[in-house]
Amino acid sequence: MSTLNQHERVNKGNFIDHLSKTLSWEKFLFAVGLFFFISMIIFPFYWMVSSSFKSGAEIAGRAPVYIPSSLRLDAYRELFDPAWKSFQNFGVNIVNSLLVAIPTALIAVVLSIMGAYASARLHFKGREWILNGVLIVYLFPAVLLMIPLFAMLSKVSQTFGFNVQDNLVILVLTYLAQTLPVALYMLTNYFRTIPDEIEQAALIDGCTRFEVIWRVTIPLAIPAIVTVGIYTFMIAWNEFLYAFIFLNDRSTFTIPIKINTIFNDPSPRPHVVMAASTIMTIPIILLFLAFEKYLSQGLTSGSVKG
Amino acid sequence: MAETASSKKRFWLLSKSMHASEVRLAWLLILPTAIIVFGLVLFPAIFSIWISFHKIGLYNLNDVFHAPFIGFDNYKSVLNDFAFKWGGPKQWGAWVTTIFYSFVSTFITLIGGLIAAILLNRPFRGRGLARSVFLFPYVAPVISVAFVWRWLLDPRPSGVLNHILINLGIIETQQAFLATRGLAIWLVIIFQAWRYFPFAMLMILARLQAIDDTLYEAAAVDGANSWQKFISITIPQIRYVLGAIFLLRLLWTFNKFDDIWLLTGGGYGTNVLPVLTYQFSFNMYDFGKGAATAMIMMAALVVFIIGYVLIIMRNSEES
Repeated sequence: MSTLNQHERVNKGNFIDHLSKTLSWEKFLFAVGLFFFISMIIFPFYWMVSSSFKSGAEIAGRAPVYIPSSLRLDAYRELFDPAWKSFQNFGVNIVNSLLVAIPTALIAVVLSIMGAYASARLHFKGREWILNGVLIVYLFPAVLLMIPLFAMLSKVSQTFGFNVQDNLVILVLTYLAQTLPVALYMLTNYFRTIPDEIEQAALIDGCTRFEVIWRVTIPLAIPAIVTVGIYTFMIAWNEFLYAFIFLNDRSTFTIPIKINTIFNDPSPRPHVVMAASTIMTIPIILLFLAFEKYLSQGLTSGSVKG
Repeated sequence: MAETASSKKRFWLLSKSMHASEVRLAWLLILPTAIIVFGLVLFPAIFSIWISFHKIGLYNLNDVFHAPFIGFDNYKSVLNDFAFKWGGPKQWGAWVTTIFYSFVSTFITLIGGLIAAILLNRPFRGRGLARSVFLFPYVAPVISVAFVWRWLLDPRPSGVLNHILINLGIIETQQAFLATRGLAIWLVIIFQAWRYFPFAMLMILARLQAIDDTLYEAAAVDGANSWQKFISITIPQIRYVLGAIFLLRLLWTFNKFDDIWLLTGGGYGTNVLPVLTYQFSFNMYDFGKGAATAMIMMAALVVFIIGYVLIIMRNSEES
């Protein structure tokens, strides 16, 4: 009996010791902090996705509905189903956004590979000047450029007789101007980490410069190139201001402008806005998760403006 | 002897012509980027200065190069504008609002990023996942998160914050938070911090993980507690990163248009210079005045850039 008691006491002592060791103030604060951050971040996203499945009645009710009663597709049908009243034809906007974002990403990748190779590997006068210039351009705000661009483009459209407004090509060009400096800077830094000797060896073996770029430099720089491609895609996909200024015709609206239009509709339909936002956000989050390792590295090298 | 000299000379000539072709190749490779950046960034930036000294509206936009020169009139008109100048504590005017907004939200962003980085610097199960989730606000499109926030803060019965506060008994009737002067600016600041703290977090986290563990071990031997370790080891080690992030974020926040435009449209005491630039040019179609506002912003920007370059340079000299 006494031995059992003793045994129990020892156990209890151990348990309290264990508890006081694991439950320190520090751990408590840590848990509270983590919970605070996670809930602050997740809730708006949860609200966006869950609201897209709510019915009109749940949206306009006397209190917010935190969990939709069922997965109703009303909002998505308004976006995509031509038979639905106030059909939004959202498919066109998705296509427009892709038509802007994919060419922007591809052209930015090609041009920045060329430029970065030149500024990382080739010796020419003005190289440092270009790199510093790129850094300064990187700090120019979009707001500063919107007025002169607007004036220039309306002048150009008048002179050459083509429509600059409602022209997705113009958007691609302005996004390129915004993203190329960053892309060039990132890739140049990456190319400089690739040992020069590999390329020298290929040159001595009789490869031309372009063969060296194609067969040696690009394969070695795939992580950085993928990062640049995804960044430029994301920037073009998310961009609001220039699209807002340059696009007036509904048939050319990209997704952000369309969401803005639905939001400002006289009869508020937040579930439709949330459905469109969900469609716009999910691919970006998935892209980010798929390439997170590269992208975080890119972020820490200070490469994304916004 | 003469033979070697001539072969040396030939080699020199050869390498010189190789160098010349290399230079040509370099310019060829960089030309497309240079044309786009010059045509759509540098030239417009200079053109913007020109516009700010001319009277340009929608009526003469097609004939912009013959617009009348009006000297500093646009600047005077901006500086005297009700929306720009300080009009007492109830009507801050855009320049005071901009400075307040950018400094306070950058500061809160930085604190948020620092706390998040310290949380994630600790090993725990699911840390990788938590880190990805922490970055969501930063990668998600601004338009979707801004509209979610607008709805969470909505005055209608379905607004979540109103519902929570009424249930807690803090307020009695529904409030239009984003349309309340004084409160709106703070909500916009909180939104800005919510959206951009992950940027600060990532940069700080990278620096935290590079701190030598032996520093902490030595401090532990000396009997320092966590707070003392934080103050005397962590903070000095991340000081320069904090400074660099502060300037970068300050710069970007200063120029931010989308966030405020989408949340409040610049109303209720949240009108900042980028939004004012937009309103002058695309609501009132006074492009000269808009450009003058942008140039005033640019002047502030130049001060920031100088500070930024100085800090970065001091930083790189030390490391």
